[in-house]
Amino acid sequence: MTDAASARATRALLGLLAVELVAFTFLGHNFLSIANGFEVVRASVEVGLLALALTAVIATGGIDLSVGSLLGLCAVVFGWLAREAGLAVPVAAACAVLAGTLGGLLNGWLVTSLRLPPLIVTLGTYSLYRGLAEAATGGVANYTGFPDGFLGLGQGTFLGGVPAQLPLLAAAFLFFWALVHRSVVGRGLEAIGYAPEAARHAGVPVGARLRLVYVLSGTVAGVASLVYVARLGQAKADAGTGFELLAITAVVLGGTSIFGGRASVVGTLVGLFVLALLQNGLRLADQPAELAGVLTGMLLLLALALSRERKAS
Amino acid sequence: MTRRALSLLLLLAVAACRGGGGGASTDGLTVALMPKNKGNPYFVSCRQGAEEAARELGVKLLWDGPTETDAAKQNEVVEAWITRGVNVIAVSVENREGLSTVLRKARGRGIKVLTFDADALPDARDFFVNQATPRGIAETLLEHTSRILGGAGEFAIVTASLTAANQNEWIKEIRDLLASKYSGLKLVDIRPSDDDRKRAFDETQSLLKAYPSVKVVMAIASPAVPGAAEAVKQSGRTDVKVTGLGLPNDSKPYLKDGVLDSVVLWNTQDLGYLTLYAASALARGTLKAGATSFEAGRLKTLRVEGDNILLGTPFTFTKDNVDRFDF
Repeated sequence: MTDAASARATRALLGLLAVELVAFTFLGHNFLSIANGFEVVRASVEVGLLALALTAVIATGGIDLSVGSLLGLCAVVFGWLAREAGLAVPVAAACAVLAGTLGGLLNGWLVTSLRLPPLIVTLGTYSLYRGLAEAATGGVANYTGFPDGFLGLGQGTFLGGVPAQLPLLAAAFLFFWALVHRSVVGRGLEAIGYAPEAARHAGVPVGARLRLVYVLSGTVAGVASLVYVARLGQAKADAGTGFELLAITAVVLGGTSIFGGRASVVGTLVGLFVLALLQNGLRLADQPAELAGVLTGMLLLLALALSRERKAS
Repeated sequence: MTRRALSLLLLLAVAACRGGGGGASTDGLTVALMPKNKGNPYFVSCRQGAEEAARELGVKLLWDGPTETDAAKQNEVVEAWITRGVNVIAVSVENREGLSTVLRKARGRGIKVLTFDADALPDARDFFVNQATPRGIAETLLEHTSRILGGAGEFAIVTASLTAANQNEWIKEIRDLLASKYSGLKLVDIRPSDDDRKRAFDETQSLLKAYPSVKVVMAIASPAVPGAAEAVKQSGRTDVKVTGLGLPNDSKPYLKDGVLDSVVLWNTQDLGYLTLYAASALARGTLKAGATSFEAGRLKTLRVEGDNILLGTPFTFTKDNVDRFDF
C-alpha cells in the first residue's frame, strides 16, 4: 500500500516537473537547453546531497535541522585548515568531512542516549554549529584563494559540459536508494518511523540505526560543504544558510512522510529538481526570486494536502 | 483531482509571469543590475537612479539579487543571466573571487560586465563604476574641517579600527593634503571605534577631555558618526563640531541639532543612474577601454581613470538636504 502511494506521489511530481518544463520553455529565455539543465544541476548538488541523507533521517520519523549550519561549520573548518593552518587540501578536506561526521554523531548520541526529540536536539545544534562557525571567524573571516584543482570540483566540467559534481550526486543517490529501499537496514528505518516500539520488539537495533542516519547526515553535510566552497571559491560562516529547509522541502515534496514510515529516495530527487527548475525558470522569465518562495510554499502545501486526501480515501 | 489542482496552480504561475514581465524595450538592450542585497535602502536608492536612467535611454532593466547579503545567490543569479542572454551585467560584488569566475564566464560569452559600488577582480569586468576615490573623500572631509575651523585649528579623527584598510587609505590622503594644502590644520590624535557606536562615544568623550583645544571631531566610519555626535552633544560643548563620513539616516537628528555639521558620502541614486548609463554606452560601443571621459545624462561629463568611471566628488549631506534621502 505504501509503495503504491509513494509511486503515485512520484508520478504526480513527475507530471509537475513536465508542466514546469513546458511553461518555462514558453515563458523563459533560453530555458530548454542542455547547458541550462547542467547549470540547474550544478546549483542544486549541495542541497541535493543534504536532502538524500535527510530522506533516511525522516524515514525514521526524525528530522535534522542542523545540516545547513553543519555545512557552514565544515566549510569554515576546511577554509581555516587549508588557508590558515597550511594543511594540504586533501587533508583539510578529510578533516572537514570528519567534522561533519562528529557533528552528526553528537546529534545521534543526543537523540538515542538522552532520548530527546530530534526536532529539539537538532534545533539546538542548528544554533550551536552556526554559532561555532561564526565565533571561530568573528563572522567576517572569508577564506579564499583555493587551488584550481580543488575549485574544479565545484566549477569544472567534463565530457563537454557535465558539471564536475554530478557524479557525486549520482553516487549519493545510488547509495541512499540502496540503503533505504534495497537493504535490511532500510526496512528497519521505515519500521522505526512507523512504530519504534514495535520495531524494537521485532529485533531492529533502533539505537544503532538512528545513530547511523544522523552520522550519515552529518558526514554528507561535510562533503556538501566541500562542493559549496569549491563552487563559490570562498569559505565563510554563512555558508549553507537556509539549506536545511530547502532540503526538507525537497524530501517532503518527494512523497516521504514527515511522520516517518514511508520514504522515497527517487521522490526526493524529483522534488529537488522541481524546486530547482522553479527557481531557475522564474529567473529566466525575468521574475524576481521572491516569487519562487511563494510558489514553493504553495507547491508544498498542495503536496501535503493531496497526500492527506489520499490517506483519507 | 490532482491534475486539476496542479494545472490551476501552474495557470496562476503563468499569469503571474505574464503580468510582471516583458517590459517593452525600444532598442532591444537588456541590462541586468545586481545589488549585494535587494532589501538594503542603500541599494533601493541605487535602483531608483537606475530606473530613471533606463527610462531616459529606453533600456530594459532587470534588477535582481539576494534578499539578504548572500554570496551564493549572487553566483546563481549571474549564471541565470548568462543563460537568459543579456547585453550587460552590472554587479555590486559581495564575494570578489567567487563571483569573478562567473563574471569571466559571462565575458567569454560576449556579455559586457561592469561592477559598481564594490569591485570584482580587474580581469573579470570591463569597467568599475567607482563611487569615490580615497583622494576625493579626504579632500571633501578636509574642506569641511577647514571651513568649520576658519582655516586654522586642531582636529581629531575617530576611525573604524586602526587596521581598517579603507580608513587607513583615507587617513594617508588626509596627511598628504595636510602637508601640502592645509598647513593651518593640525591632526592631534586618531582614535579607533571598532565600527561600534558605543566605543566611538567613549573615545570621543575622552578625546574632548584630553584635548580641550580640539574643535572638530572627524568621524570616518558610519557608526562612529552618531557615536561621536552624541558624545559632543552630551558634553554641552557648543564650540566643538563633528563632521565625517556616514549614512544620512544615522546622521539626521544630529544634523538637525547642529552638533553634526556635515556628513560626506556619495549620492547613491546617482550611482545607480551612472551605472546604467555606463552599461548602455558599453553595449553600444561608445564607451571603450582607454576612454578618459564619459557623458552620463544629467550628470554631464565624468572622468574615467584607467578602468574606473568616477562618480565625482563625494556628496555632502547637511541639515538642508538630508530629508531627501532614506538609507
